[in-house]
Amino acid sequence: MHAEQLAEQIPMVRRQTTAAEAAKVVAEFRLSGLVVADDAGEPIAVIPGSQLLSAVLPQYVRDDRKLVHAFDEASADELCHKLNTVTLGDLLDAKRITARKLPSVLPEDTLLEIASVMDEGNRPVIVVRDRSGAYRGVLTVSRVLAAIATAAGQDSDLVRHRLERDLIERAEPGYFGDSGSEE
Amino acid sequence: MTLTAWLAIGVFAAAYVVIASEKLNRAAVALTGAALMVVIGATRGHEIYFSAETGIDWNVIFLLFGMMVLVGILRQTGVFEFLAIWSAQRARGRPFRMMVLLVLITAVASALLDNVTTVLLVAPVTLLLCDRMALAPMPFLLAEAMASNIGGTATLIGDPPNIIIASRAGLSFNDFLIHLAPIVLALLVVFIGLCWLLWGRRLTYDPGKADQIMALTPRETITDARLLWRMLVILAVVLIGFATHALTHLEPSLIALLGAGVAVLISRQSSETYLAEVEWETLLFFAGLFIMVGTLVHQGVITELAHSITAAMGDNYALAAQGILVGSAGLSAIVDNIPYVATMAPLVHDLVGPAQGLPPQQQSLWWALALGADLGGNATAIGASANVVITGIAKRNGHPISFWEFTRYGLIVAAVTIACCVPYVALRYF
Repeated sequence: MHAEQLAEQIPMVRRQTTAAEAAKVVAEFRLSGLVVADDAGEPIAVIPGSQLLSAVLPQYVRDDRKLVHAFDEASADELCHKLNTVTLGDLLDAKRITARKLPSVLPEDTLLEIASVMDEGNRPVIVVRDRSGAYRGVLTVSRVLAAIATAAGQDSDLVRHRLERDLIERAEPGYFGDSGSEE
Repeated sequence: MTLTAWLAIGVFAAAYVVIASEKLNRAAVALTGAALMVVIGATRGHEIYFSAETGIDWNVIFLLFGMMVLVGILRQTGVFEFLAIWSAQRARGRPFRMMVLLVLITAVASALLDNVTTVLLVAPVTLLLCDRMALAPMPFLLAEAMASNIGGTATLIGDPPNIIIASRAGLSFNDFLIHLAPIVLALLVVFIGLCWLLWGRRLTYDPGKADQIMALTPRETITDARLLWRMLVILAVVLIGFATHALTHLEPSLIALLGAGVAVLISRQSSETYLAEVEWETLLFFAGLFIMVGTLVHQGVITELAHSITAAMGDNYALAAQGILVGSAGLSAIVDNIPYVATMAPLVHDLVGPAQGLPPQQQSLWWALALGADLGGNATAIGASANVVITGIAKRNGHPISFWEFTRYGLIVAAVTIACCVPYVALRYF
């Protein structure tokens, strides 16, 4: 299989997306990384999903982890609610989370070439761009591994389903509203 | 003086300027300076390793190391977080009462631990309390940085300059308690008054927000109560060990190392945990600094300087003590007080000798050096390590404190506290 055949459309977020909305996207699509798109809807960076956990913790708690035990349930919920007031842009600017640049492969690149790029730097998501630099889609580790499993003879209905349907197809129409639908 | 001595002065001055500029890593600069001293032939292995006067003062290095290990284990217990939240709850969320209790906790902790560790422990919990109360944390953080510098002045182990002075002057833990603790207690009272004038009178009490403090659960911060009790016992034994030096004749460094060893055995913490608080860079900085200053001693530079000062001063020790007090405060406001005291201690040693057996007039020079160097650090944001650390924490948490914002208040506090020390030194020793 080539990169073009494996490329898919996935849910993306923007700098203006709130941390709470971003958490919802990660949860609903079981994403390992959150892809950040520019104003044109093209992916520019990826944020590891686990980094969003740090958004819920005030910096002073990250400085002294024992303080986390001082919060009762209501206070903890209050902190979670604050995620609605902070955007990914705020968190990136404050260096609370770090976005990594997305490496790219060519549409005609093979499974092995894709695996090599993903393996180098441990990237769960990369993009497919043609020689002119035009964006053609995203490669996710789960779909690439589905292709690898098929090639290794470990085929199944779920693996086939993963290869046939893009992640974004799980979303209801209008889901992405203000958080960056690509289509 | 010989050509080698002049070269040694050149290396020392150049290293001092680079350290003061804070452009390069201070440990790297001190060690480079030490290496250059060897290269120019101004010092050798025997002087560096086997003489506290002309080389590394291992008593200071291992005392710091032992205390760092003890603190590394003690902080795992969560006792400081508990104390801070518990005291805020005792203050019923009244901001100035809370500030006073936090200042007192910081000052007392700082007398027993080093200042940087103390503010690292107190600042995050202060930010939590201020966040819950919707209060600006700057006044609290400033007050804590300054309280740590004042509290640290009280004991031999409270501030690194005191450790250097104690080792060079042969002063005991009890000497510091007798000579510095009383004035530090008085200074704390004055400082609390200043806290009211500078910040406290503008703090407003909101009963609704106070409930947010009462909802916190301080007991939960103590993650290992058994370890806490064991560590408190070890710390108490170590302090008794310091205080009974006259009976045991054990060096403070040995007592700290023994305490650290027992704590490591009892706590069963991993080496990553109990070594986490060891500031290797600081220990290397001290080593490099001791070699550079020791070389000046070995080359007779310090003795020459002491002779010149003695010729100018005669036996007017009152003037000398006040000069050292005010001069040290001024210099410590601008440069790190550790290299300053490392340089001044041999000089004072040459002027009056070891402190034991000296008449009070001459011994006052040692106490003036400690008071001036420790309290002068409050004047600016870069005057003491605790100030640098607290401004860093404040910035990281989105509450930046500018150099001038700190200095505006720091100058007042340093000036008032030093002004209180002037009559203390005059009345107590002359």
